[in-house]
Amino acid sequence: MNCELANGQLSLMLYGELSFEEEELVQQHLDGCEACRAELVSVKALHRALDDTEAEMDGAVLADCRRTLRVTVAAIGPQEKNGWFHGLTWGAFLKPLGAFALITVGFFGARFTTAVGDPPQASIPMASRVRYVEPGMESGRVQIVVEETSQRTLSGETASEPIRRLLLAAARDSSDAGLRVESMDILRASAGGSAEVRKALIFALQHDPNSGVRLKALDGLKGSAGDPETRHALSQVLLADDNPGVRTQAIDLLTQKKEPSMVGVLQELMRKEDNGYVRLKCQKALHEMNASVETF
Amino acid sequence: MLTGNGEAVATLGTKAVTGLDEAALIRAAQGGDQYAFEQLVQAYDQSVLRLALNLLRSPEDASDIYQEAFLRVYRNLHTFRFDCTFHTWLYRIVTNLCLDHLRKRKVRREEPTVVETSEGPVDRMEVVQEQRAEGDPARKLLSRQLGSRIDRVLTDMTPRERMVFEMRHYQGMRLRAIGDVLGTTEEAAKNCLFRATQKMRAALGDFV
Repeated sequence: MNCELANGQLSLMLYGELSFEEEELVQQHLDGCEACRAELVSVKALHRALDDTEAEMDGAVLADCRRTLRVTVAAIGPQEKNGWFHGLTWGAFLKPLGAFALITVGFFGARFTTAVGDPPQASIPMASRVRYVEPGMESGRVQIVVEETSQRTLSGETASEPIRRLLLAAARDSSDAGLRVESMDILRASAGGSAEVRKALIFALQHDPNSGVRLKALDGLKGSAGDPETRHALSQVLLADDNPGVRTQAIDLLTQKKEPSMVGVLQELMRKEDNGYVRLKCQKALHEMNASVETF
Repeated sequence: MLTGNGEAVATLGTKAVTGLDEAALIRAAQGGDQYAFEQLVQAYDQSVLRLALNLLRSPEDASDIYQEAFLRVYRNLHTFRFDCTFHTWLYRIVTNLCLDHLRKRKVRREEPTVVETSEGPVDRMEVVQEQRAEGDPARKLLSRQLGSRIDRVLTDMTPRERMVFEMRHYQGMRLRAIGDVLGTTEEAAKNCLFRATQKMRAALGDFV
């Protein structure tokens, strides 16, 4: 294998998409070629750089999408065309006949084939997982332990304790940014002033990996921007958050009250900020507080 | 879920469904169970939205693809016969919609990601790219420059190359699965990925 061929295969090798033989040939070439080893280092760096530029999905956009879809689906109504039965192109009058035939076959089939002592036919539960399989004593039989997850729909006043606790739990659900946004929205609207909800919003603002959720949390904290704990969290976020939108909103909330203690935080931000819009916003806030833009 | 003593525990939310769960969910949704349909949507919608967002580089277009894709699923779920995985079936719908969108865009030229706002020009993808740079200003700058270079390379790729690259690099799908989704062979998907990565390397090689 020459350098040109080996070079061309490097990305595919990193993706694990070469056959055993192909990868073996590339590895053999790399063992004896310093230039291609250097090229491999650079391709690895390129892959890492590409990872850094992946678009992050905004939790608010996801929540919006789900809401719109729910409304549209509700407007369309249930789809009656279900299952294979619909796929048959019989005329409408033939369907009852077909159904009758199926029932008849089922009835007689069951009478003649069901073994004595068989349990009633169990349908597979909606969310289940086979946990354990054990061959039975009699040949041809088996015992299966199935783990079931039952789902319940709960409805109630947003102010009620169990509902609020569920919402608080959902607001921290790590797997679903859309769910976190929606839960936070309801909490904010129903009990934005409560200490428990404020703590949940502060936690989301400081720790949520999704910027859409952090922005939603900021929205929820508007009413408590004067609270010392909230202000402390906002100052930290202003200096540490990597999203310019979050930093911009944090400035807005922190400068609602022109407190001299904020000057240091804003000056610190000016020192490290490289986003033009955030700098402008920060500069304006410092001017309004009659403070210098930089520390000397 | 509420436990026996009324305590709320953190079980709300979407979790990955197993194969058995999924088949049961699909059957329930085919039977008209709206809740099961919603569960199915929530099992896949994050990756669908991420795929559309990465491909189209526009949150508005990605949202449109999301709606159109899941409405098609809703309307055509009765035709799903389990002869491929639900993931493959769904991704066929999504990738077809995205490819159509990309092809139309090619015809009317690529839309810029920079939009004029009352506060001056804003790059809609800049915010997204900066989030990954973890607060390091030098890395942020590099990430932004790299981001716009990647945007240009992606624009130069054919819609198919772009799709294969996206599904392999960002979605972590195997080439065989990509071939299944795009209705082609693993080998053809591999050739497509080869061309895409060569273009990336040619355009960004000096950057890393």
